[in-house]
Amino acid sequence: MLLLAPTVLALAALTVYPGVWVLWLSLQHRIPIFEVSRFAGLDNYAFLAVDPRFLNAGRATAIFTVASVALEVVLGLTAALAIHAQRGGRRLALSFLLLAWAMPAVVTAKLFEWLYHPTAGLINVALGARSLNWLGDPGLALPAVVLADVWRTMPFVAILCYARLLAIPAELYEAAQVDGAGRLATLTRITLPMLGRILLVAVLFRTLDALRAFDIMFVLTGGGPAGMTETLTVYAYRALFQTLQLGFGSAVSVVVFLLVMAVAWAYLKFLRAGTTVAA
Amino acid sequence: MSASAGRVPLPLRSLLVVWLLALGGCAGGQPQSEVVTLVFKYARILGRADPLPALLRSFEAAHPGTRVKGEALPWTSDDQHQFYVINLEGRSPGFDVMMLDCIWVPEFARAGWLTDLTTHLRPDELAPHFPSAVAAATYGGRVWALPWTMNVGLLYYRADLLAKHGLRPPETYEELVDQVRRIRIAERDPALDGYLWQGKQYEGLVVNVLEALWANGARLLAEDGTVFPEPARAADALRFLRGLIETGVSPAWTTAADEELSRRAFGDGHAIFLRNWPYAMELFETADSAVRGKVAVVSLPGRARGERGVGSTGGAHLGVSRRSRHPELAVALARHLASEPAQRAIALGAALSPTRQALYHDSELVRAHPEMPRLHAFALAGRPRPVTPYYLLISSTVQPEFSAALVGVKPPERAITDARARLSYFLGAIR
Repeated sequence: MLLLAPTVLALAALTVYPGVWVLWLSLQHRIPIFEVSRFAGLDNYAFLAVDPRFLNAGRATAIFTVASVALEVVLGLTAALAIHAQRGGRRLALSFLLLAWAMPAVVTAKLFEWLYHPTAGLINVALGARSLNWLGDPGLALPAVVLADVWRTMPFVAILCYARLLAIPAELYEAAQVDGAGRLATLTRITLPMLGRILLVAVLFRTLDALRAFDIMFVLTGGGPAGMTETLTVYAYRALFQTLQLGFGSAVSVVVFLLVMAVAWAYLKFLRAGTTVAA
Repeated sequence: MSASAGRVPLPLRSLLVVWLLALGGCAGGQPQSEVVTLVFKYARILGRADPLPALLRSFEAAHPGTRVKGEALPWTSDDQHQFYVINLEGRSPGFDVMMLDCIWVPEFARAGWLTDLTTHLRPDELAPHFPSAVAAATYGGRVWALPWTMNVGLLYYRADLLAKHGLRPPETYEELVDQVRRIRIAERDPALDGYLWQGKQYEGLVVNVLEALWANGARLLAEDGTVFPEPARAADALRFLRGLIETGVSPAWTTAADEELSRRAFGDGHAIFLRNWPYAMELFETADSAVRGKVAVVSLPGRARGERGVGSTGGAHLGVSRRSRHPELAVALARHLASEPAQRAIALGAALSPTRQALYHDSELVRAHPEMPRLHAFALAGRPRPVTPYYLLISSTVQPEFSAALVGVKPPERAITDARARLSYFLGAIR
């Protein structure tokens, strides 16, 4: 018990104390630079519950998360299978994959800012006369941001899957061949089931990351147009760090925290269920 | 005590003696022999040559025993603001003089982070500056910063195209729209855009909308703190801006355009009109510019049956941290940097305009920038954005609403109502 004390103390100091403090802040009107500090009760939460900008940020976060994670898993898995299937040049392919993953999000965002440039961007030049208003159209801006994020983080999923693919024993494939299984049957009966667990882990990591996504939309669109790409974290940033409304901003953070926790909990439950079945 | 001292090895002991002697020497020495270091925080100035190092050295020469360190700020305005907020709220006296975006001055003054400069200045010391710049540096009847560089919204136009079609620069937006139609029909160039401005969801959008509001007799903030005191006129101004995009007078990508995006498109020769700041002029006149010698400026248009057009002003100010350990010297440094010789050097070396009006007719400057006398008139007529400690809160609240009206997902009236409702909650929490 005594030996546990340092761990408990460290956790309490680093997690519990700030967490409780944020919860307490969220119940106040608190703007230190203007000497505003008074109890607000649930005012901030009541305002958020009917705040269209907050609900819009929740919608943008949900769409961004579902779309980017789904695309990343499909493309990452495809890339891993493709690399695994090729005989030579695996290392080169892996290096190229890692290049995108190794780039800081801000650099990726700047890169895509030029790709999406309305008149001189590579994408619109390729589209010619049918060029699109990528970052200025309310219907296109979020897909454009999702695309940039997928390009950046798809390699993460690909590398995880590739590592698992290498660990599948060759005997399994040989046995399948002996049994006369075709390529499709091998894929659906052996490869995909063997990848199941690692895919779940990848989806968990990517979902938690996507729910907290900030830099890519902050640099690319600043949340616009019409707030279409403003995620919950961008919204929280504006309240906390730009306009210094610590009380209101904390309320937003608490809701984001609860949301991320709920998703993580659901996933973990799913993962454990999978383990018991497998065992 | 003596036992532990006995254990200190000889070399260390001799070092200790030297150190103690040195301490004694300092205590007995002249105070002038101590070097005072001032830290000046500023954003790197782009231009032919950064004039600041030379200005800092000349201050050191005039104040023996003083060293001035110039430290760069983060690149974007948002990051600079965040840097200041964290360091000033954290009471870290890491810098003495700071470059401020003029929209932050009332906020920082209200927060108690700036030295009140009123008593440090001669009564008429700010008279040579633009009144709008002085207004932006004043909060609660006191002066909190020194105006340093000036910015004002202008209308750039293709003088060659207008002359070719026998047109004079437009005085109203209605004329501008008409001229765009006529020139585009005659030129038959599908790649030629009409009027470029900044419609991306960011601070620049607020500036552009403010100019449209003012031209239509509407305001964002009244003196008594009312938000959008003329809501119908404000909505009408937003509807007009949306109309520019809908009718193709302004390209669809205006809703993603910032200063540089629109400046480059105009600089490539792809547009007839552009709203931008004075810095663009120099870039249009470079040797490899596609529009060299074809561009002229005029003040922003007004509305037919409305008010005369005025550009929004902006620029940088110099403030002194209240936690500076050498307030007298820090104020002296700020005054040195905002002095006439310093502003002349900055205007010559970089594409930044001075806040001192006399410099716009200075023979040396006019030779380098022939458009300066005209620029003076535009800047003098310019209007500052609302001078309030809550500017950032107001701006970040109205940005998505303005953007929503421009891209057409919200009727302008709704955008104005929604912005007012949100602001009444946030401002209500402050008051």
